[in-house]
Amino acid sequence: MRKILFRAGTILVLLIIAAVMFFIGRGHTIYFDNKNLDYEGTRYEAVRRINVSVNGEQVARLSKKERGMATCMGQSFQFDIEVIREKNGESEFYSYSLSLPYGMDGIIVNLPGIMSGLPQDAWMSEFIPAPEPPDEENEELPGEEDFDPAGEI
Amino acid sequence: MSRRSLSGRNAVRFFSSNSVPIMFILIIAVCVPIVGFSPAFLLNEIVTRFSRNAFLILSLLIPIMAGMGLNFGMTLGAMAAEIALIFTSDWQIWGIPGVVLAMIISIPISTVLGLLCGKILNAARGREMITSYIISFFMNGVYQLVVLYMMGSIIPIVHNNIKLPRGYGIRSSVDLTRIRKCLDNVLAVNIGGVRIPLLTVAIIVLMCLVIVWFRRTKLGQDMRAVGQDMEVARAAGINVERTRLISIVISTVLAGIGMVIYLQNMGDMATYSSHSQIGMFCIAALLVGGASVDRASIGNVFLGVILFHTMFILAPAAGAKITGNEVIGEYFRVFVSYGVITIALIMYETKKRREKAGMGELLAAAQREEEKKHA
Repeated sequence: MRKILFRAGTILVLLIIAAVMFFIGRGHTIYFDNKNLDYEGTRYEAVRRINVSVNGEQVARLSKKERGMATCMGQSFQFDIEVIREKNGESEFYSYSLSLPYGMDGIIVNLPGIMSGLPQDAWMSEFIPAPEPPDEENEELPGEEDFDPAGEI
Repeated sequence: MSRRSLSGRNAVRFFSSNSVPIMFILIIAVCVPIVGFSPAFLLNEIVTRFSRNAFLILSLLIPIMAGMGLNFGMTLGAMAAEIALIFTSDWQIWGIPGVVLAMIISIPISTVLGLLCGKILNAARGREMITSYIISFFMNGVYQLVVLYMMGSIIPIVHNNIKLPRGYGIRSSVDLTRIRKCLDNVLAVNIGGVRIPLLTVAIIVLMCLVIVWFRRTKLGQDMRAVGQDMEVARAAGINVERTRLISIVISTVLAGIGMVIYLQNMGDMATYSSHSQIGMFCIAALLVGGASVDRASIGNVFLGVILFHTMFILAPAAGAKITGNEVIGEYFRVFVSYGVITIALIMYETKKRREKAGMGELLAAAQREEEKKHA
């Protein structure tokens, strides 16, 4: 009985650790857009310059119509932005904390939208990479060299 | 008998039982000045390869303890680790959580494969090494079937950068950049230009302590008893088959965990070849450290991994310097790996025969004594 309990306990602990790893290790790529956003008939204009920082490190320096990116692990993401609306104008600083959807690998955040206080579905969308057209003639199947045992150790 | 002849005999015994490590030390001593690598570079490479390979080699100790010889079946654990890493890459689990999750996923796969291997090895008693070697070839075929045809079609794989363009099967190379050196970079310290990955080293040390502790447990004692004499162990009430089976399962599971550590260091996985020679290179490294088919220690692992991989670092450059052709050095290191295993197997068989002959002589002498008494 003790043995069964011990084994069940070990499996349970491993499952719990695995579940925790699933959540804290989920990687996302966040794309920051400094682009115009149309929402419910209103246009939210891109600004002259936005500098994006994550954990105090600048990850993007965006002019109008530009996109930057950062990666993060876990389900929450914090970033800071420095907004410069006009040439030689004063900088405005904002901090945001996002809760990231688990199912999205790439997430696009529209910065003019988030700065305007719009709801999340207005400024957050999924980044879907362009599908690779299947090339059956030149399909890259593993060749003999891929089964070659000689490799770096 | 004079003291000098005794010490001379001891020296001969020492050299004959440590001939392989001594040979490697000599090769390295010759190659180092030829190659001219800086000490910092050489040490950095040795430390990197030590942290990459030591855990895998440690996984070989337990079957040797149980008298099952060198477990070529550790390749099965490596395959389990690769399957686990394909899943974690597809699920986009990055960093240390990705490594830990891959280790956890590899455990049940390694256990099932280890059970299968152990059952077969129990049936092929006395021929464990060749059987485990052939099992690894057989399982390689099954692995290819799963990875090349079932993943993406039956087993869900979402990301196109992992799948082959045809829509199923895994690409020849899986990018592990997101977990690359994530263990090695934690608590890494730089001493005199040599980067020491303290967390990985701590995991290896912890594994050594677990092995030391395991030897003292009831199961560990049973394994040693089985390793020394199966029939005596059976007479003492030990379930020999079960003990041998457990030793192979433990070894396979540890090999799976070791392979995850190995691949996180590499940062890239050759899907169809990463595992294929890992068993042979690990076994060669253990033998270079002075281990034999029936006796191996943690010291052999450490010495072996350092000597074997130092030779691996030096051989291509030495080959290039001596002959002008780096490929000769590459051939040399592969040739040495096979050669060391062959020498170890010959030495083991010779020792076994000598022991048998010695036993026979003792028995004959005892019989002669008995006959003399009766006469």
